[in-house]
Amino acid sequence: MKKIEAIIKPFKLDDVKEALKEIDIKGMTLTDVKGYGRQKGHKEIYRGAEYVVDFIPKVKLELIVETSQCDKVVECIRQAAVTGKIGDGKIFVLPVEEAVRIRTGEKGNEAV
Amino acid sequence: MNSELRARRNALESLWQQGLSGKMLLREHTRLVDTHIAHNFENCLDAKNGMALVAVGGYGRKELFPFSDIDLLLLYEPSVENKLTPAVEAVFYPLWDAGLEVGHAVRTLDACLEHGKKDFFFQVAMLDARLLAGSIDLFNQLVNLFQQSFVEGRRREFLNNMLKHRKRRHKSFGMQNYLLEPHIKESRGGLRDIQAMIWTAQVIFGLHGLSSMENAGLLNNSERRRFDSACDELIRIRNGLHFVSGRKNDQLYFEHQEEIAKLFDFKPSKGLLGVERFMRDVYGHMKTVAVTTDFFFEHVDEVLGITLPTIKDRKLEKGIEIRHGRIHLTDPGLAEKKVYLLMRLFARAADTGLPIHHRTLRLVNDRLLLLNDKVRCSRRMANAFFDVLKKTGERPTVLEAMLESGLLSAYIPEFADLESLAQHDVYHVYTVDSHLLQTVAELNRLREEEPNIFSTVPSPEILFLAGLLHDIGKGQGGDHSKLGAELVGLIGKRLGLKKDEIQTIIFLVREHLFLAHMSMRRDLGDDAFIRRCAEKIASPDRLAMLYLLTIADSKATGPTVWNEWKGALLLEFYLKTVQYLDTDRNNVDTSRKMEWKRAKLADLMGDNKVFDLKSLPDDYLLSFTPEEAYSHIRYRKELDEKKLLVNSTDLDGKWSLLIMARDRRGLLSRICGTLALHNLEVRSAQIFTWADGTAVDVIDVISVVSMEYEDQDWETFEKDLHLAVNLRLGLDYRLGRKTAPMKKSPHCLNHATEDRVVIDNETSDTYTIIEIFSKDRFELLYRITKTLADFGINIFRAIIGCKADQVVDVFYGLDDDGRKVIDPDFQEEIRRGLLYAVKDVSKK
Repeated sequence: MKKIEAIIKPFKLDDVKEALKEIDIKGMTLTDVKGYGRQKGHKEIYRGAEYVVDFIPKVKLELIVETSQCDKVVECIRQAAVTGKIGDGKIFVLPVEEAVRIRTGEKGNEAV
Repeated sequence: MNSELRARRNALESLWQQGLSGKMLLREHTRLVDTHIAHNFENCLDAKNGMALVAVGGYGRKELFPFSDIDLLLLYEPSVENKLTPAVEAVFYPLWDAGLEVGHAVRTLDACLEHGKKDFFFQVAMLDARLLAGSIDLFNQLVNLFQQSFVEGRRREFLNNMLKHRKRRHKSFGMQNYLLEPHIKESRGGLRDIQAMIWTAQVIFGLHGLSSMENAGLLNNSERRRFDSACDELIRIRNGLHFVSGRKNDQLYFEHQEEIAKLFDFKPSKGLLGVERFMRDVYGHMKTVAVTTDFFFEHVDEVLGITLPTIKDRKLEKGIEIRHGRIHLTDPGLAEKKVYLLMRLFARAADTGLPIHHRTLRLVNDRLLLLNDKVRCSRRMANAFFDVLKKTGERPTVLEAMLESGLLSAYIPEFADLESLAQHDVYHVYTVDSHLLQTVAELNRLREEEPNIFSTVPSPEILFLAGLLHDIGKGQGGDHSKLGAELVGLIGKRLGLKKDEIQTIIFLVREHLFLAHMSMRRDLGDDAFIRRCAEKIASPDRLAMLYLLTIADSKATGPTVWNEWKGALLLEFYLKTVQYLDTDRNNVDTSRKMEWKRAKLADLMGDNKVFDLKSLPDDYLLSFTPEEAYSHIRYRKELDEKKLLVNSTDLDGKWSLLIMARDRRGLLSRICGTLALHNLEVRSAQIFTWADGTAVDVIDVISVVSMEYEDQDWETFEKDLHLAVNLRLGLDYRLGRKTAPMKKSPHCLNHATEDRVVIDNETSDTYTIIEIFSKDRFELLYRITKTLADFGINIFRAIIGCKADQVVDVFYGLDDDGRKVIDPDFQEEIRRGLLYAVKDVSKK
C-alpha cells in the first residue's frame, strides 16, 4: 500500500476529483493548506497599502491505494492538475505499513 | 409492577398518537405516575407518619414530559429515621426497576434548608413542590420554611441569581452548535425561559401564572395569547422530540427535525422543504418567548432598581430622551404625526450605544400600522434608516431590536418573508434574517479591519443596504440572487436612491456570490479570466464593495465558513482585478482623461479642421498617447491615395508594426496570413476601427527564423501585404506550399490543454466577444481570422495574447448585419468552425 499526497492549485480540485472518479478512486482526505515553494509569496501594493501574500493557498489531497495502482493514480492526478505554470504543486508517494477499517476490523488492501 | 408502569407509558404513547398534545399530555403523564407512586407509598402504612413524599421541579408542576426525570423528595422527621428503609424500598425501587430516570432526595427539614442555601436550583425547584402522599403538616412546614428563608425580604437576591443563571445559560446554549440544532429547553426562547419568568413573577410579585400576570398589567392580552400559543407549541415539540428520540433528549438534532416535521405533517411549499417550514415555526416560537421574557426581566430589573444607570438623563431631540440609561419615546402622540421618529429611535440607539426601553419598543410595535406606502417612500425615514445601518457597530444589537419590534419588516415588507427562515443544511447556521443583520455588523467591522479598501467605497450606505438585503430573494425557490436583484431594485426606488445607486445595489445583490465562486474555482493566474471578471465588474468601486460584501457574507454565515485560506484567495483575486481596472483608468476618472487627450490632440492638430476627432473611439484613445494618435491621423491622409500603409519599427528587440488601411471584411485575416508567410509570429496585437472606417492595427511580432531586425525582408513583406489586401495573393496555396519554418516556436510544451471557444454576449453592450483558447501554433491566427471572415464577422477590436504554451485570442465583433451574434445555432456553428480551423493547423 502507498499513501499519495498531492498539493495542487485550489481551482484544479474539481478536475482532479473528476479524473480520479473516472479511474474508480472513490475516497480521499482533503485539507485547505497554505505554503510556499518555488512559487514564492509576493507583495502587492495597492493605493499605498501593502498586502503581503507570504503563503499561497493550496489544496492537499491524501489517499491510500494498493501499490499496483499507485503509478496510475499519480499520473492521473498529475495530468488533471497541470497548467504548465509555476505553482502547479507536487505529488509525494509514501509507503504505508498497515490499514485498518474501524467498523469491520478488516486489514490491509481490504481496508483501503 | 414494572409491567404496570410500562403499560402506563404505552398508554401515554398511544394518547400522543391519537393527537393528545401539549399540556394535556403532560398532565395525563403526571396523573399516571402520581397514582402509581402514591399507591406504593400508602401501601407501607406504618411508614406514613412523620414522612411526606413531595414532587418537585417539572414533576411538581405537573409538567412531566415523556422521558423527563421524576424528581422526588422524601421528607422525614428525625424520629422516624429507622423506618426509612421500607419507605424507600416501596417508593424508589419500583421506579428504578422500571428503568425510569428518578431524581431522588431523602432529607429532613434542616437538611433541606442547608441544601437550599448552597443550591439556587433547589430553591427554585421548591417553588413547584407538590405533596404526593404523607404528612401534610410536614409538607407545609417545608413550604413555609423556604418562603421565610429564601423569599421574604430576599427578592432582590433571588432576581440577581435568576438573571445571572439566565445569562449564563443563554451564553452556553447560544453557541454555534445550538443555532442549527436548538435546545428546546435551555436555548434562548426555550421552555426554561418561560419557567424563569413564571418563577420570578411568583417570587417578586406573588403572581401565579400568565393570566394573573396579564391582570396585573405585565403583559397585554395579545402578547399573552401569542406567548401562550408559543409555549403550547414548544411543549408539543418537546413531547414529539422525546418520543422520536426514545429518551430524554431536548436538543432538536437534524435527524429529529426531519422526523418531527413529517410527524407534524409539514409539507414542502413555495420552494421550502417541509423541515424548513417546521424549523421556521420553531425559531418563530422561540423568538416570541425570548422577546416576551426579555421585556419581563427588563421590567423587573427596573422595578427593583438592580442595574443603576451611569448615563445622565437628557433630551436627544423632540420626543426622544435618555432616561435611566435607556432611550425613550416620550411623546407617542408626536410619532403619530412624524412617523420617522420611530426610525430615529433606532438611529439614536445606534449612535449612543444605549438600549431602547422595552415600553418604547412596545409603543413602536403598537404603531406599525402607521407604516404606509407614503412613509416607506419618505426621505426622512430613509435617512434615519441609513443612519442605523452605518452606525450598527460590530454587533447587530440595534438591528435585532428593530427586527423584533416589527419595524424592519413593516418598513421593508419583503423582509417579512425571511424572518426565522432556516436553511436545512450544516452550512447556514443562522436563520436568514439574523444572517443578514450579522452581515451588516460584519461590514461595520470591516471598516476597521480593511480601512484601505473600505475608504475607496464612495457611498457606504449602499454597501450596508446590500449587506442587509443580499439574500432578500431567499425562500422562494429559484435563483435567490436573481430574484433578490429584482426585489432590491424596487426597494431601492422606495428608499429614494439615485438611478446609478440603484444599478449598483442591483449589481451587488445579483453578483454577491460571484467573487466567492470565482476565487475558489478559477485560475487566478489566467489573465484572460481576470480581464473578463474586471470587464464584468466594470469599476474599482464596485469591485471594492463586492469584495467587502463577500467577506462579510462569508463571516456572517458561520465561523467555519470563513478562514484565512479563503481570504488569501479572495485578496489575490481582488488585487489582480483591481489592477486591471485601475490600469484601464490609471486612477484617473476616464472621462476627464479622455477630455484631456482630446484637447491635447486638438492642440497638436492646429488649424487642421478636415479630420473629425469624434471619429476616434474612446478605447482607441486610451490605448495611445496623443502624439501617437496624431501621427496616425497624419498617416491617415496618405491613405486617401494608397490603400495600405505599413510602418515597422524595432523597439529594443520588440518589432512593432503599424498597419493602417480602410477597413473591409477579411482585412485582419489577410494581414495575419501575410505575416505567417513571412515567418512572423504575432505576440500581441491591438486592432481598432475608427468611426470613419479606418483600421489601425498595431501588431507586435517576432520572427521564427531571422534573429535580427535588419535580416527581415520588410520590402517584400510590404509588397505581399499590398497584394493580399487587394485580393491579388493566393494565401492558402502559398502557405500550403511553403516549407514549415525550421525554428519552431519555442513554446511547444507537450501536454493536453484543450482548445476552447467562448462566445460572450454579456460583457460588452455593443459587441459579441469571441475568445479562443488553444495551443500556440504557427498560422493559427490566420486560420482563426479567416474563419471569422468567412462567417461574415467584422472584427472591431482584437487582443492577441500569448503566454507560456497557451494562446488567448479575443475578438470583439459583429455579424454581417452589424448585430451581435445571438442565434444559438449560429454561435454553435462558429464555435465548431473555429475549433476545426484550430485543429486543422495542428495537423499540418
